[in-house]
Amino acid sequence: MSLLDVRDLRVSYGSPDGDVHAVDGVSLSIDAGEFVGLAGESGCGKTTMAMAIPQLLPRNARISSGSVLFDGVDLSGLDEQAMRAYRWKDISVVFQGALNALNPVQSVGSQIAEPIRVHDSSVSSAQADDRMRELLEAVGIPSRRAHDYPHQFSGGMRQRVMIAMALACRPRLVIADEPITALDVMTQAQIIDLLQGLSERYNLAMLLISHDLSVLAQTCDRVAVMYAGKMAETGPSQDVFGESNGQAKARHPYTQRLLRAYPNIHRERVFIDGIPGSPPDLSRPQQGCRFEPRCDVAMGHCASIEPELITLESRHLAACHLLENDRSGVQS
Amino acid sequence: MPPLLRRFLVLCASIFAILTFNFFLFHIIPGDPIRLIARSQRLSPEQVAKLREAYGLDGSIFTQYWTYLKNLAHGDLGYSFALHENVADVVGRALLNTLILLTVSTTVVVLLGIVIGVFAGSRHGSKSDSATVVTSLVFWSLPTFWVGMLLVFIFGVWFGGLPISGITTPNAEYQNYFQYIADIARHLILPTLTLALVDIAFFVIITRTSLIEVMSEDYMLTARGKGLSRRTMVWKHATRNALLPVVTASVLYISALVAGAIQVEVVFSWPGMGLLTYNSVLARDYPTLEACFLIISVAVLVANFVADLVYRRLDPRVAVA
Amino acid sequence: MTFELSANEEATAVPASGFLAMLRSIWADRLGRIGFILLLLTAVVALLGPLVFPFNPADVGVDSSTILQPPSSAHWLGTDELGRDVFREFLAGARISLFVGIMATLISTIIGAGIGIAAGYFMGPLDTALMSATDFFLVIPALPLMIAMGAIFGQNLLIIILVIGLLSWPRTARIIRSQTLSLRQRQYVSRAKSLGASDARIIRRNVAPHVMQLIVANTILVVAGCILAEATLSFIGLGDPDRISWGSMLHFAFVSGAVGLGAWWYFLPPGLGILVVVLGFTLVGHSFERIANPRLKGH
Repeated sequence: MSLLDVRDLRVSYGSPDGDVHAVDGVSLSIDAGEFVGLAGESGCGKTTMAMAIPQLLPRNARISSGSVLFDGVDLSGLDEQAMRAYRWKDISVVFQGALNALNPVQSVGSQIAEPIRVHDSSVSSAQADDRMRELLEAVGIPSRRAHDYPHQFSGGMRQRVMIAMALACRPRLVIADEPITALDVMTQAQIIDLLQGLSERYNLAMLLISHDLSVLAQTCDRVAVMYAGKMAETGPSQDVFGESNGQAKARHPYTQRLLRAYPNIHRERVFIDGIPGSPPDLSRPQQGCRFEPRCDVAMGHCASIEPELITLESRHLAACHLLENDRSGVQS
Repeated sequence: MPPLLRRFLVLCASIFAILTFNFFLFHIIPGDPIRLIARSQRLSPEQVAKLREAYGLDGSIFTQYWTYLKNLAHGDLGYSFALHENVADVVGRALLNTLILLTVSTTVVVLLGIVIGVFAGSRHGSKSDSATVVTSLVFWSLPTFWVGMLLVFIFGVWFGGLPISGITTPNAEYQNYFQYIADIARHLILPTLTLALVDIAFFVIITRTSLIEVMSEDYMLTARGKGLSRRTMVWKHATRNALLPVVTASVLYISALVAGAIQVEVVFSWPGMGLLTYNSVLARDYPTLEACFLIISVAVLVANFVADLVYRRLDPRVAVA
Repeated sequence: MTFELSANEEATAVPASGFLAMLRSIWADRLGRIGFILLLLTAVVALLGPLVFPFNPADVGVDSSTILQPPSSAHWLGTDELGRDVFREFLAGARISLFVGIMATLISTIIGAGIGIAAGYFMGPLDTALMSATDFFLVIPALPLMIAMGAIFGQNLLIIILVIGLLSWPRTARIIRSQTLSLRQRQYVSRAKSLGASDARIIRRNVAPHVMQLIVANTILVVAGCILAEATLSFIGLGDPDRISWGSMLHFAFVSGAVGLGAWWYFLPPGLGILVVVLGFTLVGHSFERIANPRLKGH
């Protein structure tokens, strides 16, 4: 059984102009210890999808249907109090923008140590302190800086603090939401290496969200590409982002266009949006394939019938009418 | 230059500015300050001559200013002909009484105000939140002295039981020190209640606004993500951040606090600086009035400085030295 | 499971252009509406009251049996310590209380706006000097200074108006200065400058109108403060002895011992009057602030 099994999740935000369906029927599963990437343009719903897992959505958002199964338990049905037991202990989050995600008037050490004792009252404060220093060292911060405040650290170091904090209760799944976007390229590489190393060392499952495909290609076992609230393509990263004979192995037109914007995704480059047009308005979803208006290989019925996810090879799926004939008999 | 030292120098400069302003207001503007005093107190020519000498009025403005500063340095605040005492002695006693009143009421106002503000802010959008805001606006619109009059009426005329004037019961005899303190405490109740009813509103509104802004910050989502209880999130994480703007705003409060204290002292005959100011206006006792204004202003400047120190202590992002 | 933590407050601002639109938005806001009604009530009382029920200060009671009498059919709010009709006195007092408050606010606003715009537009050493002076006056405790000035300069209406006005401008100046500063960054100012417009013209045509909205919001709140200041000064005894205001009514109620004698009809109405009018301006002012400044979240 997978550690995390999101099934046909639909999340919408209420707004004065009507509901915005940010996530519209997305499924995703993550096994224990697996490193999964979630890619897509801004606004495609990846953050909403990620935040829906530990139920950290804002007040005006709700899960309208679908389930979030963690170890077999549907988290979407739990109330806030029940959910608290899972937060940080089983599922933790490395938030975007560590500058504002850390409490400015609390020392970093105490912020890291805090959840330890909250989730396990048998731990003494001395033990929690030891663990906190261990974590700081594990992310490459000298433990003598435990008493310093967030503003005394550089952006990259703050991100390391966030990571150390996320590991405090030895969670089984860590969700990292754009953890490196605000950093310079050199620091990005360091943080990515760190995340990879920690994932292996502690056997963590990780969901890494980024619009930077090169990072995902480098680090993830599997990737999922979202577009306009739906899953476009998902599979092992060497299948989705890889090449064979100089040709990209991606099957969905959107993924292919994304990759074409990178001359070589194995060299680190920031992704520039090179696809003409813009993502659709999610409060008025159109019928049919959502990518159709921007797709240059669209067929007649693409605009009226929504494509379903088709299994292509083992665990490689894509949602596109063009791939009907490539449907493999292999169940994913 | 370390920020703390710079702030201290600003304090000294401000005090100096107030001294000068005070001199200007009481000695220069009225034209002849001696005539002002002499007329209101009906002094003899000998007393007038002595005053002239004490004020250095034979010399130029600068001589007078210098004499003024010299006197202040010696703690000489002049002589009150209305009270037949050195002003410094009168002010000393009054200051102590005012400090007692202010310490007790400010503690009540600040603590209760912040707690209520946090409650209201954490329940933003609820009925109790709206009710709190409206109630606060209503109470803040009340004239403090009128609230005092109402309380005097309710507790002095209707119900009785609580002392409505003075700091101690007249002609009381105490068996021990504790009874003396208890008597003062009983006399403190109504004045404190008056100040509290009006002034708590200030802190409620400021704290509430600040807390609401803090709650929408990213680190509050982190706190929620960590699985912390709502109570911990609000009282441990949010409040500490929300207090920073409250401390800053409290600088504005000091002026209102002083105004309120003056009114309360008048209504309840509390023998402090406020009542002294009031009486010196009635009696046209200019030396005392001048000293009251000076002492109160300097005290406010010092209080601002202390508030600044508190802010630096609370916010690790601001350097101390 | 709803939990509002991570959502930013939706700005409920209605873009207010034009006087009628502003009134409409204040009416739409519940608290603003209540405040507006209170002010309307006060205006009616102050303007019409003394016309319908004129007060004659010389109309004192004939003997001691007429002083501090409770309400009766002859005197709806009883009599004061001189045997005069409190109801008519109350109506007369409304005018002075409002007049002083509004006039003082006018002075304070003109000074404050002038200083604020000058400091914000010209910046540099002028700004530093003006702001130091402003901060200085912000810090001086207002009431003691007003008392001192009242005692030295005398007790007539004009002096009181000036004194109150002179001590209320710092807050206005600060707010206006910060708005002017941010506006100054806007492009059209630099564009106009490159076309050779003089500084004064730029201020008048580009900076001032936008600042006007904020001036109005602040002014309304300042009126509330000035009315309270007048009431307090009059209560202390520094009011104009020839005029009746609500504050001076309370002063005489207090010194004549009416409170101790339980003459509630004498000291309740003026206080309630002050409360109503101050609350009215406060509610409208806060409502207007919210409308004029949509960035003010969670107000």
